[in-house]
Amino acid sequence: MADAAVLPPARPPFNPWPAVIFVALIVLALLFLAPTAGVLLSSVKTTREIALGALWSIPAELYLGNYAEVLANPAVHRYLLNTVLVSAPATVASIALGALAGYVFAKLPFRGSNLLFLVIVSGMFFPPQVILIPLFRLFNAMNLIDTLWPLIVIHTAMGIPICTLLMRNFFATVPNALREAAILEGANEWQVLIRVALPLSLPALAVLATLQFTWIWNDFLWPLIFTQSDEKRTIMLGIVNLRGQYSVAWGVQGALSLIASLPTLVVFLFFQRYFIKGMTMGAVKG
Amino acid sequence: MARLVLEDVTKRFGAVIAVDAVDLQIEHGEFVVFVGPSGCGKSTMLRTISGLESVSAGRILIGDRDVTHVAPSRRGVAMVFQSYALFPHMTTAENIGFGLRLARVPKDEIARRVTDVAKTLQIEALLDRYPRQLSGGQRQRVAIGRSIIRDPEVFLFDEPLSNLDAALRVRMRLEIARLRDRLDATMVYVTHDQTEAMTLADRIVVFNQGHIEQIGAPVELYDAPANLFVAGFIGAPAMNFIPAEIEAGENGKANVRFGAVSLPIGREAAEGKVTFGVRPEHLSVAAESEHDFLGRVEIVEKLGAESLVYLQTGFSKAPITMRIPPELSVHAGEEIPVRVGRKRLHLFDAEGRVI
Ligand SMILES: Nc1ncnc2c1ncn2[C@@H]1O[C@H](COP(=O)(O)OP(=O)(O)O)[C@@H](O)[C@H]1O
Ligand SMILES: [Mg+2]
Repeated sequence: MADAAVLPPARPPFNPWPAVIFVALIVLALLFLAPTAGVLLSSVKTTREIALGALWSIPAELYLGNYAEVLANPAVHRYLLNTVLVSAPATVASIALGALAGYVFAKLPFRGSNLLFLVIVSGMFFPPQVILIPLFRLFNAMNLIDTLWPLIVIHTAMGIPICTLLMRNFFATVPNALREAAILEGANEWQVLIRVALPLSLPALAVLATLQFTWIWNDFLWPLIFTQSDEKRTIMLGIVNLRGQYSVAWGVQGALSLIASLPTLVVFLFFQRYFIKGMTMGAVKG
Repeated sequence: MARLVLEDVTKRFGAVIAVDAVDLQIEHGEFVVFVGPSGCGKSTMLRTISGLESVSAGRILIGDRDVTHVAPSRRGVAMVFQSYALFPHMTTAENIGFGLRLARVPKDEIARRVTDVAKTLQIEALLDRYPRQLSGGQRQRVAIGRSIIRDPEVFLFDEPLSNLDAALRVRMRLEIARLRDRLDATMVYVTHDQTEAMTLADRIVVFNQGHIEQIGAPVELYDAPANLFVAGFIGAPAMNFIPAEIEAGENGKANVRFGAVSLPIGREAAEGKVTFGVRPEHLSVAAESEHDFLGRVEIVEKLGAESLVYLQTGFSKAPITMRIPPELSVHAGEEIPVRVGRKRLHLFDAEGRVI
């Protein structure tokens, strides 16, 4: 009879919100995936099949001719190479400079350093259109138009604010005692950065590497402004260029679009394993 | 020979004077403990010795070498931080060998010395673990290992045990005592823990607001505090302070009077207002005929090995603390006769100096 005192567990009232949110997320996901799916579908169809208007249909047969054509095209090789030649150094340089600046702001503050930090970070809010014409004239005067140099320099410079911001904030979480312990062991400031602060900041570095690489790789505006000849074009312009060469090459364009997005995917997959938190755990807590 | 000499060392942070003209000589092999209330400048003192903070004025000598402007790593000092400050991305072995790697010592020699240190500290089994895989006590050992591997002349410890639980703290305290005996080095140890200070120190330095109040062997500070501050700071539970007066007694010697109590102090003293200090263990429950005063028991704390009794009296606003054997049964609300031990009476003048 003791059971009589125990109330049956109250059934929670039906809460519709999780279901609503779930459905909304599915719809959004589909909306975002649709263009990719469309491109994927058209990339494995013959030009003839696309021309017949069957853009969204499942292809009659898996046609890989578009990929073969793109991969065999020497211009595409050139585009890819150019994009790597811009993205890799600009990614590395912007992160390196951001890490150096961030370390100083986080660990070696000086009079006015907070103000300087704000000035640097505010660089993030400059719309490119504002600096486009002055930059063009600058690089023109330096005779660097239609080379990759302006792209490398601009992407490096434009990446410094976000890299500095992120690295400073991450370094700020590295306990000061670690720096002091390293200094007592004989490390100089550079060794503290390389051997202690950076290894502890792998998550921030991974995030920045992914972010910067993707952003630079996918950029359309700057290469459009600063390159003219086909030899110097990057992959995003290359996709557009293909349209000019062939009348309506939807299939080839689709294939190239997918190929062009592979490197960013690879970079993401490579770095995402470092997106872990809690690297500093166990440093200073008991 | 690593004598550590501080000459007139001052450290200011803007308007705050964290260390105020400190003069101190620490002999080679000595274990000196800095104690003092929080914010009195103990850590800052230690950090100026290590070189992590520059001095605002004064000189620091280690082994008769002026190191005031020498880089921290060249001073021959090692520091163990309260927070351990282990590098989280390095294994125990890498943490301990970090300084040797920076100094480009050959790999096999590093390995050998790391193993030696690990043996000494009994952490050989932990060499491949990361700090997050270690317990608090183990981390502490690794931090100590990192400090001893480079054979420093002076060890600096900043509250190394304060993050550990009570039982572990006792064990690590013993281990540090063992380390002290084995290593032929000068050690400076900061703590706010009375027991650590009393048990480890050859000499204790009591800091207050950036300056030294008194330097002396633990028992010396306990038995003969130079002033009210030291008397109140050393010893737990703290010494009782009672407002009192000196008056003339027999044979030209003086008496101290508080309330209806008048005790001979056995020597001469100028008449006037004083503070009378007596430690809780120098008060005892007495037979009716021998008691000096009656106190009403407010609270009894039974600690097992002893009991602490807090008394209300007519002559002191603050409750008087006394320490009694646990087998004495005393109850709250009771009025008990108390006798003051005659041997250890402390008298302080209006400036707080001992008389
Ligand atoms: N880097 C600093 N900047 C400004 N004031 C500081 C700094 N370090 C310590 N102080 C001040 O110096 C005084 C002594 O501090 P500290 O040496 O840490 O005391 P303790 O270790 O004895 O608790 C305190 O008033 C503290 O606020
Ligand atoms: Mg401190």
